[in-house]
Amino acid sequence: MNIEYQICTKTVMDTSDPDIRFDEQGICNYYYEYQEKASRILLQGDAREQAFKSIISGIKEAGKGKQYDCLIGLSGGVDSSYIAYMAGEMGLRALIVHFDNGWNSELAVSNIEKLVNKYHFDLHTLVVDWQEFKDIQLSFFKSSVPNIEVVTDHAIIATLYRIAQKYDIKHLISGSNIVTEGILPNSWGYDASDFSHIKAIHKRFGSVPIKTFPHLTLFGYFYYNFIRKVKKVNILNYIDYNKSDAIKELAEKVGWQYYGGKHFESIFTQFFQAHVLPQKFGFDKRRAHLSTLICSGQTTRDEALKELTQPLYSEQSLKEHIEYVTKKWGITQQDYERIMNSPPKLHEDYPSNKKWIELALKYKRKFRL
Amino acid sequence: MNLVRVIPTLLLKGEGLVKTENFRNPVYVGDPINAVRIFNEKEVDELVLLDITASSEKREPKFNWIKDIVSESFMPIGYGGGIANVEHAKKIFDLGVEKIILNSSSDNFALITDLANIYGSQSVVVCMDVRKRLLGGYTTYKLNGTINLKQNPEKFAQQVVNAGAGELIVQSIDREGTMKGFDIDLIKQVASAVNVPIVASGGAGTIEDLYEAITFGHASAVTAGSFFVFKGKHRAVLINYPKQSDLKNLFSTHK
Amino acid sequence: MISIIDYGAGNIGSIVNMIRKIGMNSQITSDPDTILKAKKLILPGVGHFDYGMNKLIESGLIDVLNKKVLIEKCPILGICLGAQLMTQRSDEGVVKGLGWFDAEVKYFSTIDSNVPIRIPHMGWNYVEVVKDTPLSSDLYEESRYYFVHSYYMQARNESDILFKTNYGNVFASGLNRDNIYAVQFHPEKSHKFGLKLFQNFLKL
Repeated sequence: MNIEYQICTKTVMDTSDPDIRFDEQGICNYYYEYQEKASRILLQGDAREQAFKSIISGIKEAGKGKQYDCLIGLSGGVDSSYIAYMAGEMGLRALIVHFDNGWNSELAVSNIEKLVNKYHFDLHTLVVDWQEFKDIQLSFFKSSVPNIEVVTDHAIIATLYRIAQKYDIKHLISGSNIVTEGILPNSWGYDASDFSHIKAIHKRFGSVPIKTFPHLTLFGYFYYNFIRKVKKVNILNYIDYNKSDAIKELAEKVGWQYYGGKHFESIFTQFFQAHVLPQKFGFDKRRAHLSTLICSGQTTRDEALKELTQPLYSEQSLKEHIEYVTKKWGITQQDYERIMNSPPKLHEDYPSNKKWIELALKYKRKFRL
Repeated sequence: MNLVRVIPTLLLKGEGLVKTENFRNPVYVGDPINAVRIFNEKEVDELVLLDITASSEKREPKFNWIKDIVSESFMPIGYGGGIANVEHAKKIFDLGVEKIILNSSSDNFALITDLANIYGSQSVVVCMDVRKRLLGGYTTYKLNGTINLKQNPEKFAQQVVNAGAGELIVQSIDREGTMKGFDIDLIKQVASAVNVPIVASGGAGTIEDLYEAITFGHASAVTAGSFFVFKGKHRAVLINYPKQSDLKNLFSTHK
Repeated sequence: MISIIDYGAGNIGSIVNMIRKIGMNSQITSDPDTILKAKKLILPGVGHFDYGMNKLIESGLIDVLNKKVLIEKCPILGICLGAQLMTQRSDEGVVKGLGWFDAEVKYFSTIDSNVPIRIPHMGWNYVEVVKDTPLSSDLYEESRYYFVHSYYMQARNESDILFKTNYGNVFASGLNRDNIYAVQFHPEKSHKFGLKLFQNFLKL
């Protein structure tokens, strides 16, 4: 069945998302969902400032007598770098944690170094065993599901909780935010806390036994959230967070360098988002990001449309990156092409704990935990 | 005059990079292909890659893996580990490696001479592992510090240079991985004994240590592992390298 | 098409890599017919002078190289030992070189140095451009390259000297006459400095 192409008249979301719905004015559901989410979660003016101050003092209070006030997962990207910068400026005693999955770009590593040096943060790095990680990642690639990033995202969550436990830290400051990431279609993402899903795909397509890969079981998920009560603080929702201003400020104050695309601090993420997703799965994640920026007033629809016409990759860079990825993964060009050409699958096509996690989230929200 | 070289050393073990302390307790540091890619982007002067279990496991170098790693570098690489004959050396050079490093074969003077005759002395490096003796002085070892060559470093250095080695890496086992500073006396002793470039190794912890090895130890170059790979009190893995401008300023008084 | 001459004494992989990084293709060849069709040539080399020269003789390529380079004036870049082979002779051995330059190769101990120098000359060093050519134009300020050699080139004609470097004393780190270029250092292992040089050569 051929769906006729349609693009939202307010944002730039379009029918590359199979679940999109439009009203009579051609405005898509994501626009309205953003407005609802923003009005529910984002405070304004004095109320926001008060909330922000209260969060910070709450973090400092909970950290009294302990080695650290809070924990920050730092990838070297804009959002996590900005929260590290804020923590440094506000004198929070943050423990910085970096997850090294073997795909770090030099820029990411150098950005992390600059922040750690400037504010004299203590740093922990979790270097995942490359052979194990490679095998899990490759299984996801072979399974043809769109959100391969859950492999990294899951390991990051597991690592952050484990380290928070080790140092008895109650607050994880996260770079998640509404104004630059509020819109993300379900079919383009997948919950990263689900380890059983990762295990299922790995069982089907992988061969290296999972021994040291950081993971969170369902029990662990409940344990950290409801028993240890480790709080995830989306601090960027409590300030006037503007992406281009943040990049400028980081550059001026810390010497931080931008790498040209969302999450492109990882070579792999750039490759997957700028090439595999559009090429194999038929969607461009920039649409979601730019649509969010339109809704939060950080860009205009015209600007966004213009940006979408820019190629995601230069021919030379793409060639280099394909070579690099296939080399690191140890697969041939033919294998790579075969997998790229095989039909996309959904995450739902494989086993998962999705319904339990959704239940837990509902429960958490309902009881404001 | 030429510039002082500051060289990260990467140790290969099993399927990945590790970092040791006094040659023991290897800590996993990650995937070497990506590490070399990052060092390359940082435009480091040179790299040393050592497969630390090739000889003890009595096997050849892992040629395909080395090829994958080396193809990420646009600066010279010296490779050591499991090179026991001219055939091995030829295969390694063909992969794009500039210099081969002999350690377990460091006392095979005939091999050194053969290699120098074909590839030139400048392509043949000997890595000497040295330990302090209980009652003073030093002794040279090989094979991860397990075989005592029963020779003091100056004499041994002269022997390998006479055989044809064009560069010497002088590695202090006692200082390795400790980040407590180089063994300046050791370096100075070997540097005075021969006229080939000496690379100081073992103990770099601060940028001043690098300066000392060159200025007081008379080394031509310095190498370090932990210094470029660990950060802070938790020894978090984070690849780092001083800015070229900082290095230039640091060594500008050195001739 | 850039042809890299494979005569059994070169560090070819790295050159191929750097050319690929610039976005161009190269081919490795030891076939005289392929060399005859080449638009540009690279003569690499690592090792002992006599070993290299003997390998070149064994390969049977000298006649076709003389034809391409001296008669057809095909641009050629000699690197390290490849550069040295283009001279007349070397202190390192007894075999005669290609003789494309009126120059010889001397051992570093013979350089009139006012400071003690260790041999080989190993590491990064600055290169001064003394002749304006398409290869040497528009290079980075304070260009430095990686050197690894115990013998250096000494040209009889000042007009043949392209680059100068100081190690103990000043020596010729690059030679040029018409279409023939010879560099003592390794541009393929000299990061962005080498990349620029290759870019210039490929644009010739």
